[in-house]
Formats: sequence, C-alpha cells, structure tokens
Amino acid sequence: MKYSYIKPRKKTALTKDMQLLFTFFGASIFMLVLTYSFLVFKDYRFDQREQEIVQEKKDLNQDINNMKDKITLIEKQNMLSQRVFTKNTVLKDSISNLFDLVPSRITLSQAKIMENSLTLYGITPNKDIYNFMLQAPLRSIFNRSYSSFYPQKNGWYSFVSTNFIDEESILDENK
Amino acid sequence: MINKILETLYSKVFINIIVGDSKTTVYAQVHSKNKVLDSNTEEFKTISTSPKMLTFINSYTSQSPYHYISILDKSLNQGAVPSCKEIKKFIKDADLKTICISNEWSLYTHEEDIKTLRYEYKEIGLDFIFSPFKILTSFFKDKIDSTLAIFLLVQDVSMSLCIFDNSKMLYAQYLDMSTFEEEEDLIMDSILDEDDDDILEMQDVNLDDLDADMDSLEDFADIEDLDSGLDIDEFSEAQEIEDIVEDKALDIENINDDYKRFIAIQDSISRFYKDDKYESEFLEHIYIADSADVSNDLKKYLKEEMFLNVVIRRIGLEEELCDMAKAELK
Repeated sequence: MKYSYIKPRKKTALTKDMQLLFTFFGASIFMLVLTYSFLVFKDYRFDQREQEIVQEKKDLNQDINNMKDKITLIEKQNMLSQRVFTKNTVLKDSISNLFDLVPSRITLSQAKIMENSLTLYGITPNKDIYNFMLQAPLRSIFNRSYSSFYPQKNGWYSFVSTNFIDEESILDENK
Repeated sequence: MINKILETLYSKVFINIIVGDSKTTVYAQVHSKNKVLDSNTEEFKTISTSPKMLTFINSYTSQSPYHYISILDKSLNQGAVPSCKEIKKFIKDADLKTICISNEWSLYTHEEDIKTLRYEYKEIGLDFIFSPFKILTSFFKDKIDSTLAIFLLVQDVSMSLCIFDNSKMLYAQYLDMSTFEEEEDLIMDSILDEDDDDILEMQDVNLDDLDADMDSLEDFADIEDLDSGLDIDEFSEAQEIEDIVEDKALDIENINDDYKRFIAIQDSISRFYKDDKYESEFLEHIYIADSADVSNDLKKYLKEEMFLNVVIRRIGLEEELCDMAKAELK
C-alpha cells in the first residue's frame, strides 16, 4: 500500500539523548566488564602463582631434607674419615714404632698388623738377639706373645712372632 | 532489528490534518497493537499552522517517537487520470508526482505543491500526503466495483469528482470552489436565463438583495445601539429580527455553497461528455461522500437538473485519513 505522495520520515526511538545515554551506559558496563575480567585474570594468576609457590616450597623442603640427609651422610663420612685418619695415624705410628722397635740386626720379611694382633716374620742371626732386642719390647706392649724359630742353612733363624692384645685391656684404655 | 523491537514497545500516534475554508481540523489518535488508546479532534481557526495547533500536535507527538503526520493534499493542481502509462495524454504539465493505482488509473499532483506543503508545515513535519481521490475511492469501494456512477467527495472549499464504470476509471477532476467565487454572478445569471422555475427560486437567493438586507439590518442594529437602555422591548424585538435574518443569511449562504457545488459538478460533467479523451457513458447515479454538511438542496438540484439518483453518505475525513496512514504503514 503506497498511496502517499511522500515517504514517511525515519522514526527511531533511539534519539540523540538516548544514544548518548546508551553510549555512557555501554562505556560504563564495558569498563566494569573489563575491570572484572582483569580482576578475574589477576585472581587466576595469583592462584596459579600460589600453587607454584606451594610447589616450590614443597620442592625446597624436599631439597632441604635431601641436603640434611646429605649433611648427615657427609658428617658421618667426615667422622669416618677422621676415624680412618686417626686410625691411619695410629697405624702409621704403630708401624713407625714397630720399625723403630726392630733392631738393625734383625731383618723383617713380613709383618701382619691386625686389630688385636701383630704377626712378624723375619730373620735373626741368633735367638738371643731376638729374645733380648725384640721379644722384650713386644711383651711389654702385647698381653700375649708367642715366638717360633726355624733354623736357616747359613746358621741364622727364621722366626714367626705372634702377639695379641686382649679385648679388656683395649676397653680399659678407651675408658 | 533493535528499531523493530522498540517499535512494538511504543504506541503509535497518528496526527491527521484536514484544511478547510477558514479552519483546520486536526485529529489525533494514539494507537497500540490494533487498539485505539486515545483520540481527539480539535479545530483551529487557521488554514496553515498556528502556535496553538503546534502545542496540540506536540502534546501527542511527544508521547511516542513513532508518530505519523498525515495531511490531505490541498493542491489545486491535483487530480486523477484513467491511465498509468499515458498520463501525458491527459495532463500536459511537467513535474508531476504520480501514483499508479491497480495499474489502471493514476493519482497526480504537482511536485512544486508538495514542496510548498512541506515548507508550510515544516515546523510540524509531514509523513504522508494523501490524495482526496484515494480517500473517495476507498470510501466507495463497494459501489465503484459494481456500478457506473459519479463519485464525489465534498469538502469545505473543494470537491473531488470521479466517474467509475465497474471499477474502471473514466474521468476525474478536482474542483476548487474558491475559484468559483469570482464567476459567481455570471454563473447565476446564466442559470436564471435557463429556467423560469429557477428564477423564482433564485429570487430568494439573490445575493445582491441579501447584501442590501444585511446592510439595512446592520444600520438598524447601530441605531438600536444608540438607543440601548431606553426601551428594552424595542431592543429585544430588534434582536429577534437580527437573529432571524442571521439564520436566514446562514441558510442562504449554505444554499449558495450548494448551488456553487452543483454548478461545478454540472460543468465538470459537461466537460466529461464533450472531451473526446474520455469515454462517454450515460450517467444515472451519483454517490456523494459528504464532509461539509451539504444541504438537501444539492440533492434536489442534482435530481431535478441532471436527473441523477443521488446517494449522500457522511464521511469522517479525519478518520479515513487516519485509516489510510495506518494502511500505509502495513
């Protein structure tokens, strides 16, 4: 039905005032949404960071425990090494003492130093030199001392000296 | 899309403007979802716009952004022709705005007149300009489709006349009564010469005599004014005479208008018969859509002078215009 000579003017409920109003409302809502999304994002990031930190803390605690264990182990190793060192020093001293103990006329071919015992193999020109110059100091150190002689073709003697220190005397010394 | 949704939320306001001889009738209707919420008719003593009219219209248009202002075309150069393609055969004028109806006939008006009308109502703004011929044909649609007859829309100062033969337009003319004013005496004289019976009738309607009567009465009234307070009986008697004469004058004026209308119709019909461009048919019926309160005299003239069967139907132009605007939006 088009019986009018002119076309009607364009009608709209969105007047300039309304458009302005909608623009402002739109801008405000947009800013609110933007702020809300920013906060939600930040919250998410904080949560994520918190979880990361918790995990890091957990890892660090784990590391600390591992390090503590390592420290304990190292301390033990240290103690062990010190003990070994001490023992070695003692052993070194003992060996040194032992060699000092052995007179020049007696020749040692083998020495077995054990925890509580010392076994010496060697050659002596005669039994007396052994008995006076080596047997006597060994007896003063060890609780029990046994000697065996085997004659050599050249008139000298091979000897085996076995010496023991009793457990009780070691404990007494430690006390 | 948003506009469509908003349109359903708002009510529609239709403002319909009908310009008469010395007054403008504005009919406002508030319409919502096929329901009329409010309607009001107001008359303004202007044939253009006035501040009061603007206030009245604004009070309605401010109710909804979807308001439509319709006006009935009052261009003197408007009309209708029984063709859509060969308009130039009937109207030589350039710059015509035409609307083809049912691919059979066309409404036309001058572009310049539309511009003038728009300029005249620029403060109010116009959405629709309808032709009175479209109003007339819509109003008599039932008769147009089935009879051969003259169809006439009578307004205060104009008439739209068209002839339809079973929905086929034969002839149409827009008759402006204001231009008849100057030719009045001439027309009346010619009628007086034509028929003796009419001479008797016209003696009552003689305008010169009437004017003389009116003048004498005015003088008489002036004398009464001077003597006022002296004799109350005399004054009231004079007042009665004045009232009677005024009534008579109104009647005579009405008769005069109807007579002018009759002459205009007669001229127009004789033009239809004489002009070769139009297919002549013998006319027996006339259907009148009356919006100007025509008296029975017009009926009598048409019956007696032109031997026509006259049917007068009262038309509410404002309502019809409003209905056209509503239909236009669908």
